[in-house]
Amino acid sequence: MNEIISRTLSFGVSGVNGFPVHVEVFGINGMPGMEIIGLPDVSVRESRDRVNAAIINSGRQMHPRRITINLAPADLKKEGPSFDLPIAVGVLTANGELIPSADYDPDTTAIFGELSLTGEVQPIRGALPMVISAKEHGVRNVILPAQNAREAACIEGITILPVSHLREVIEHLEGKCPIPPQSQIPFEELRNNVAPAADMSQIKGQLGARRALEVAAAGGHNMLMIGVPGSGKTMLARCLPGILPPMSFEEALETTRIHSICGKLNSGGGLMVTRPFCAPHHSASVASLVGGGQNARPGEVSLAHNGVLFLDELPEFSRSVLEALRQPLEDGVVSVNRVKNQAQYQSSFMLVAAMNPCPCGYYGSKNRACRCTPNEIRRYLDRISGPLLDRIDIQMEVDAVPVSEIQQSGDAEPSSSVAERVREARTVQMNRYRGTGLHSNAQLKNQEIRRYCRMTSEAEQLLRAAVESMHMSMRAHQRILKVARTIADLDHQETIQAQHLAEAVQYRELDQKYWS
Amino acid sequence: MPKCFEEKVFCAWMAGAMLSSSSAQQALRHFGGAAAVYAAVRKDDPDLKEIFSAQELQRLTGLSSDRHLGTLEDRLNCFSISVLSFLDEAYPVVLLNYDDPPCVLFYQGDIGCLRSDRTLSMVGSRRASWSGIRAAKDIAGELSRHRVQIVSGLAYGIDTAAHQGCIAGGSPTVAILGCGLDIDYPSGNAQLKKEILLHGGLLLSEFAPGEQPLGWHFPYRNRIISGLSRAVVLMEAKIRSGSLTTVQHALNQGKDVFVYPGDPASEQFSGNRLLLREGARYFTTAGDILEDMNWLDNQAEVRQNSEGAAPESSLTPTEKRILNVLKPGILSFEQICAETGIAPREMMSALTMLQIHGLVEALPGKNYQKKVR
Repeated sequence: MNEIISRTLSFGVSGVNGFPVHVEVFGINGMPGMEIIGLPDVSVRESRDRVNAAIINSGRQMHPRRITINLAPADLKKEGPSFDLPIAVGVLTANGELIPSADYDPDTTAIFGELSLTGEVQPIRGALPMVISAKEHGVRNVILPAQNAREAACIEGITILPVSHLREVIEHLEGKCPIPPQSQIPFEELRNNVAPAADMSQIKGQLGARRALEVAAAGGHNMLMIGVPGSGKTMLARCLPGILPPMSFEEALETTRIHSICGKLNSGGGLMVTRPFCAPHHSASVASLVGGGQNARPGEVSLAHNGVLFLDELPEFSRSVLEALRQPLEDGVVSVNRVKNQAQYQSSFMLVAAMNPCPCGYYGSKNRACRCTPNEIRRYLDRISGPLLDRIDIQMEVDAVPVSEIQQSGDAEPSSSVAERVREARTVQMNRYRGTGLHSNAQLKNQEIRRYCRMTSEAEQLLRAAVESMHMSMRAHQRILKVARTIADLDHQETIQAQHLAEAVQYRELDQKYWS
Repeated sequence: MPKCFEEKVFCAWMAGAMLSSSSAQQALRHFGGAAAVYAAVRKDDPDLKEIFSAQELQRLTGLSSDRHLGTLEDRLNCFSISVLSFLDEAYPVVLLNYDDPPCVLFYQGDIGCLRSDRTLSMVGSRRASWSGIRAAKDIAGELSRHRVQIVSGLAYGIDTAAHQGCIAGGSPTVAILGCGLDIDYPSGNAQLKKEILLHGGLLLSEFAPGEQPLGWHFPYRNRIISGLSRAVVLMEAKIRSGSLTTVQHALNQGKDVFVYPGDPASEQFSGNRLLLREGARYFTTAGDILEDMNWLDNQAEVRQNSEGAAPESSLTPTEKRILNVLKPGILSFEQICAETGIAPREMMSALTMLQIHGLVEALPGKNYQKKVR
């Protein structure tokens, strides 16, 4: 028999979703060679050389035949080296070098992985979305690189077979030496075994900023910190993921999926159970921040999905980058449209921004004189547009902590107890907004503010006085109400009291000090 | 046919030629007005050679084109700039007592301001510390409530604070510029210029319209700042500060100099300390100056602070505690928390209440200060 054909199931990724790809191999006597068709990109086309070498280095023969490999469906673009392993299996089967045991069902076993020339199986990007898609398509066994096994192991009802060499795959399929399946890792167990990167007990002083951070976390409010260089803005921001409520399984899956596509998961790392903290540099381009590029990849805002996006030196970001943040801040999703590709990436994150009060950084400092003219300061602040500022509820000044206080021993309140209060406040909000599609106070819009932010008459009086005496805009007025709602939630009060409102006013002060 | 111009245009023409004060005075007296000087220049009058140096004459001739005069006229009219020569009645004669008086002055606003006998100039660094600016604003405000006019230089920093404080206190304020009145300099103070005029103040310059703010103009015009005031108040200056030229002028003119002590540890006030060691008058409040100048009125004549404040008796114990701690000066949020032992969330509410009552003021850098009454 001259014409031999084999079929192997694999998966590709488009956007955040996987799709099945059938690797068909056709071998015929003729001029020796290997051709890959079905819209492969360069890295897929190059796989023929890797496959060739890997097969020989696994102790099998490459027969001198003319081999055609088709990646079906032929109208979707295939990217990346994850098809190396299924192609190798297909070629071996087509050549009769590999005769699968009866246990191997090519329709319910998916294979993916990159091959090195020695036949070792390398980790790939996007394993999680591929496994999710595989499960949806009725696949029962997945053969994938060992380093990707942990991230895939959180999906129930599918057997994960981690491999580290092509030889293992061959022997498994021949039924000679079955691969032990990866055991399931329960989500709860993963979640309980992590320590946050930064703990609030390490922060000395900063009583005001700590409280602001707690309020921001409790209501999901975006936050802007203004302070002199070295006042600890970055340190404070890093503590935020640790006090936000723990991720649910769905959230963890969404976030891990995006990180998986970008290849940003730690090798051997499983499902992400801590909220991501992304801190792009201020030289970031629009595409790197919101996603895009020729083949549409998620940007930092999507990597920060369900976590914290920290923009240090906010006015140094280019204007177009800051404006591009508006859609994800508003909708929690980014649409990336390119000529060849389009994708939607989830990007619901908490924005934490930090900036100096003026170009030299020392405006308002008691220790150093500011060298900026009023005009320079105004130009610096004007780089942040009103619409962006409008989406930031809490503005907080951070003052440098005196050395004497830093040297004092004794830890401050740890993140865990702050997180507990935040969790309670979030539960209150979940119950209040059940069935409305909202889940935190930060999402309230005009009408909802009127409906949910009820206050005592005393509080109403105070608000009027504050707006008047501090010359606040209508815009600031709305933000104050939302933040006051969160403060009342932290205090377990259904009606906003005067003291809650008075505290909320302190988080808008920059309006009058810097932007008036 | 030469175009006809008003006298003020010829005054501006003379001011633009950088004449020495004595020769300009002599020419104006000799010919009886700027227009006559112009006519003499066009005619090449032989008397001119005796009054002006060759360079001065050359500059006057060079600027005597109709086109140049037309530009000057447009600028004067566009910006409604009025002109005074020392021959005019409204010219502040006090300046003639000192060296190098300007023979022509340009102004916007109420020239009547210069008749007041209660004028003080307040000067200091353009890059002043926050505490210096606060003090300048408060002291200028308090002086202004005692019907004292503040003269300053419209620069950033202390000058701006002095003008603003004076406006807030209700008295007119006088700004002496170092460039033509039509030039937007310093550009951040355009709004302040408008406010000075709106509140009955005066913008004054010896430089003709169109003159750029050149470096030497500023120390030079400082002699007018000191000359127009009864005493000079120095708020904040380093040892090599330009503000000290105003002090030097004041001493040459035989005027008192009041020096604010400032923060003893700060480099920013090193010039102040030097002057105090040399025997300048020491003051910490507006009252000190008023007493020394013998300007203390009975309370009825003093304008009241327009911002109403709640009586301290209606405050909660927490608020009273904060006010007590704030007595010595500016404190940061952390310091107030540390000294009172009040929890941050309670502290934030209390501070808002105190701000609404007008008892406490929030400063950049999360600092707070008791409002000066």
